[in-house]
Amino acid sequence: MGLHVHFIGLLLLPWISGLFLGIIPSRFSKISSIFLALISGLFAFSFLSRIHGSDFRVAYTWFNMGQKSIQASFWMNTPAQVLVALVHLVAICVHIFSASYLAHEPNIRRYYTYLHLFLGAMTLLILTDQTWIFYGAWELVGACSYLLISFWYQKPEAIRAAKKAFLLNRLGDIGLLFGLIGLTMHFQTDQFSAMNIGLSGPAPFLVGLAILLGGIGKSAQFPLMSWLPDAMEGPTPASALIHAATMVAAGVYVGIRIFPLTSEEVHLLMGGIGAISLLAGGVFALFQSDIKKALAYSTISQLGLMWMGMGSDVSLMHLWTHGIFKAGLFLSAGYVIHAIHSQDVHHMGGLRKSLPVPALAYAIFGAGMMGLPLTGGFYSKEHIAGYLWTSSENSSYALYYEGLLIATALGMVLTAWYISRQFYLIFLGESRGENNTEPTNKLDLAMVLPIGILAVGSFAFVLGNPVFTYFGLPSFEVPTLWLLWTGISWVLGIGLTWLTRGWVPSGNLQFWPNFWPDSFQYVIMKSRNAHWIETHIYDRAVNGMARLQVILAHLSAWVDTWVVDGVLVGCTSRLSAVLGGLLGRWQSGKLASYWVLVFITFGLFLLFSLLI
Amino acid sequence: MTSILLLSVLILIPFVGSVVVGFGFAKNYDRPVAIAVSGLQMILLVYLVSIFQVGGGFQFQESARWIDLSLGVLGHFSSRYALGMDGLSLPLVLLTGLISFIALWNSKEIKEKTAAYYGLVLLMNASLMGCFLAQDMFLFYVFFEFMLLPMYFLIGIWGGPRRQYASLKFFIYTLVGSLFILIVMLGISMAYIDPYETAVLNGWVREGQNFDLEALLAVQKAISAGEIPKHLLVHSFDISALSDVNNCLPGSIFSPNSGWLLGGMSGRAWGFWLLFIGFAIKLPLVPLHTWLPDAHVEAPTPISVLLAGVLLKIGAYGWLRMTIPFFFQEALQYAIVMSILGALSIIFGAYNALAMKDLKKLVAYSSVSHMGFVLMGIAAFNVEGWQGALFQLISHGILSALLFLMVGAIYTRTGDRNVDSYSGLAKMMPRFTLISGIAMFASLGLPGFSGFIGEFFSLMGSFTSVYVQPGVAVFGAFGILLGAGYLLWTFQKVYLGPVFLRDTTWNMSDISLLETISMYSLGILSILLGVFPGKLFQISEAFVLQWMNQIN
Repeated sequence: MGLHVHFIGLLLLPWISGLFLGIIPSRFSKISSIFLALISGLFAFSFLSRIHGSDFRVAYTWFNMGQKSIQASFWMNTPAQVLVALVHLVAICVHIFSASYLAHEPNIRRYYTYLHLFLGAMTLLILTDQTWIFYGAWELVGACSYLLISFWYQKPEAIRAAKKAFLLNRLGDIGLLFGLIGLTMHFQTDQFSAMNIGLSGPAPFLVGLAILLGGIGKSAQFPLMSWLPDAMEGPTPASALIHAATMVAAGVYVGIRIFPLTSEEVHLLMGGIGAISLLAGGVFALFQSDIKKALAYSTISQLGLMWMGMGSDVSLMHLWTHGIFKAGLFLSAGYVIHAIHSQDVHHMGGLRKSLPVPALAYAIFGAGMMGLPLTGGFYSKEHIAGYLWTSSENSSYALYYEGLLIATALGMVLTAWYISRQFYLIFLGESRGENNTEPTNKLDLAMVLPIGILAVGSFAFVLGNPVFTYFGLPSFEVPTLWLLWTGISWVLGIGLTWLTRGWVPSGNLQFWPNFWPDSFQYVIMKSRNAHWIETHIYDRAVNGMARLQVILAHLSAWVDTWVVDGVLVGCTSRLSAVLGGLLGRWQSGKLASYWVLVFITFGLFLLFSLLI
Repeated sequence: MTSILLLSVLILIPFVGSVVVGFGFAKNYDRPVAIAVSGLQMILLVYLVSIFQVGGGFQFQESARWIDLSLGVLGHFSSRYALGMDGLSLPLVLLTGLISFIALWNSKEIKEKTAAYYGLVLLMNASLMGCFLAQDMFLFYVFFEFMLLPMYFLIGIWGGPRRQYASLKFFIYTLVGSLFILIVMLGISMAYIDPYETAVLNGWVREGQNFDLEALLAVQKAISAGEIPKHLLVHSFDISALSDVNNCLPGSIFSPNSGWLLGGMSGRAWGFWLLFIGFAIKLPLVPLHTWLPDAHVEAPTPISVLLAGVLLKIGAYGWLRMTIPFFFQEALQYAIVMSILGALSIIFGAYNALAMKDLKKLVAYSSVSHMGFVLMGIAAFNVEGWQGALFQLISHGILSALLFLMVGAIYTRTGDRNVDSYSGLAKMMPRFTLISGIAMFASLGLPGFSGFIGEFFSLMGSFTSVYVQPGVAVFGAFGILLGAGYLLWTFQKVYLGPVFLRDTTWNMSDISLLETISMYSLGILSILLGVFPGKLFQISEAFVLQWMNQIN
């Protein structure tokens, strides 16, 4: 198979699979979907191994716009390769897991169709080099996310969450749209790969800011973060794929793409927003009774860490390791939810005995999240800290980077605290509530296998360091002082968990939970005003004008009868009547008077002729 | 092939059909005959498309003497029956054929006075075709005015409870617009000279002889020097003659240096704005749009489809064919005002749609919002903007037709258009829900559908234009957020959520085969255009470039 054919296969296979799954009968959905996901994955991994870490670029003519030719161009650079690998790895695991998790779901066909469409859109987003297609794919993954969140469309919360996610993303997308148009205008090219000179003038700031807004929306960073916890209404495996490992990382991905093109202020802003999200997400994760929502906040927090590491490939590194352990955490959580039919910690506790597999997996993934040694997370986190440390020494904004470092240090404690605490609340201690699940000794292979793959993968020597070296990702040394603090942060975090073990969050705390719903309500309220203007001012004016015409018409009719008719017709007729009356007197009908008239006339005639 | 007068045949087919059906010659077979006539027209259209040369300017031209008047010192007046098709009109003509066909096909609900109904729809089709094909402004105006008649009756007879009000409002609104156009036409008829006809009258060239650029310049020079006696000047309504400012008599009201001012605006600026407003009513542009929601709400479904799908496009067509070419410099000068009006239309229309509970009104206001993108694209005066605007015209034609069919499908089952009256239709009508979802996502501008390409290029053109402030484009772009808002809100309320029907006796059966075919084919068309927009861009490219080259 030629390299180009191979590439087109990689690009189009998920779309074709999606359409195919949409038409085949439901009973074949499961098996064919897993099969097709494996084929797509096979295409992706074999392609990656064929190009062997080097850049791959290809362009096809799409259409002409004036003299410009719009190319459908693709660019597979290192970040793209890492993401393609991650997306397909997680997608395969999620497909297998879903087969068991959604075994009794009647609409399984729809679910798998959406998953494949998402896979197609995400692959397109990662691979495209063309700004418009990038924007298009960006919207498409948002739409797939909408469809998957609202998968159980009869749940009002689910459809509300889906709408909120889509609208908040669209708000960011407007920024992305104009940012991309600005980039294209400035460089006179619509290909990312051709934009390699730094911008000058106010453009790098404005363009960066606009695109940053898009990235914030997609990766649920402060202040557009509230859609992600709500999005947990969707099926858990879909959350693992879309709202944990891949789609939300698209925000980070666009950040990586435009980083060299934007100004220093934008870079600082990226770090600042990342830091706020890191800490806010960490704090809110502590206050969730819903385990999926806690994981969602943890995703926000970890994505914040990636934003802070922007500027070198360390954020990419963390994106990779985070994708693996976070997807694993979601799948393990899915295992628990599937077993006890609840996702509230109030119904959990002491599940280590009945559910040993997810307990073990949770521990491994949690260790990755905390960054314990031997895990991939350890390295990626230390590299981010090392990058910030180096920046604080070299940059002119040293103080700012030191601030970011402190935030990272605090974030590490928070991370260790919330994840170990969640582990404690689910698996350790005594059972709360009346969960009457019998411990199932039967191993569900469709669930255990994907979790197992991801668990093995989250060890540093499996899918950590070898991957980093394969793609040539850089490493940053951290001072011993920092390593020491890392150790202390684990101890602090776990210690805090032990101290607060008796406290179970009562609900799901959100920062200003109704801010965005209220904003949307406000817009709808305003729309009523607009409609009021419409009906009460415009339409009344229009109708008033029409009515005025009618009034004028009556007026003119009155004028017509009384003035025009009255004066012209009336007067003339009256005049003629008067004259007629006068003359009529002469025409009396008496013969004598006629004779008199005749004689008078004759006399006058004679007089007249005599005088001339 | 010009000997067959293909374009006249294109107009004659529905006209003859309308006479046959309308006078009751096809009793009991009104519907099949009307559909067959429309199908015949579609076949001819497909043939025309297959022999149309992309980038070849006006094609299939026909021209015949129609009105010739000699008015002594006022000169000669000439108006020709001239038809032609270029890259601007071809997509619109195709759209007209397709939407008429679909409208006729979905007219099963019409049960009374079917002969008159189908006759009027075909008549409407004939006059729409005439509008898009006329190359003479007078001829265009005749078709344009004539269109009012069938529409007035179609809404007024087969409409809903307030049909009298709605049809009268539609009629008067459009008539006011026509009045503005008429005023400009009067001015134009005095001011513009047709160089070719003048040359013929003066015996410089024989009729049918080649009239090259050199001869044209010579005549124009003679006109501007006042060498031709007044009674030998020929005034005409030929659109191409009117599009050249050099054909303007010096000292006339539309002459660029006439010095004529009224309210601080020159005669040409007045001409531009009067024409602009005349066509803006048809588009419709905020604040001249209030006829649209009423007309849509009262009109029966197929008529709404025709109204939104084709009729509104004449406004934009009028701008592109007659307003901007006639007063090009003025249009450039007022581009920023046009752009602001467009953005205002987008936002105001979207806000209103958001406030609606009546599904049909919602779609009507979304039309207002989407047509705002057209104006914004046109006001950009660059290739992206114009191509985007033209694409948006076609895309909106397809999608609004689809949306109205969707509302119609619900309405025929329930007799209720209130969003709150039902929810969870996805459970009962899965096929319908799928196509409705496609329609809504396509309308809110999801990539992969035609709506995206139109909105995107209009916005991009507007943002990169040198005649318009980028801020206006950013303001207008919030329309895509609001659009997502009202469409998703509707989708959520009507299709998702738990099953609820205000009246449990409603029979919510899934859409019939007829509905399925017409709706899905529109949906597929939208996807095809969204993924492969190149063909449409290619067709309209020559037209767009011709005017973009005028700028330089």
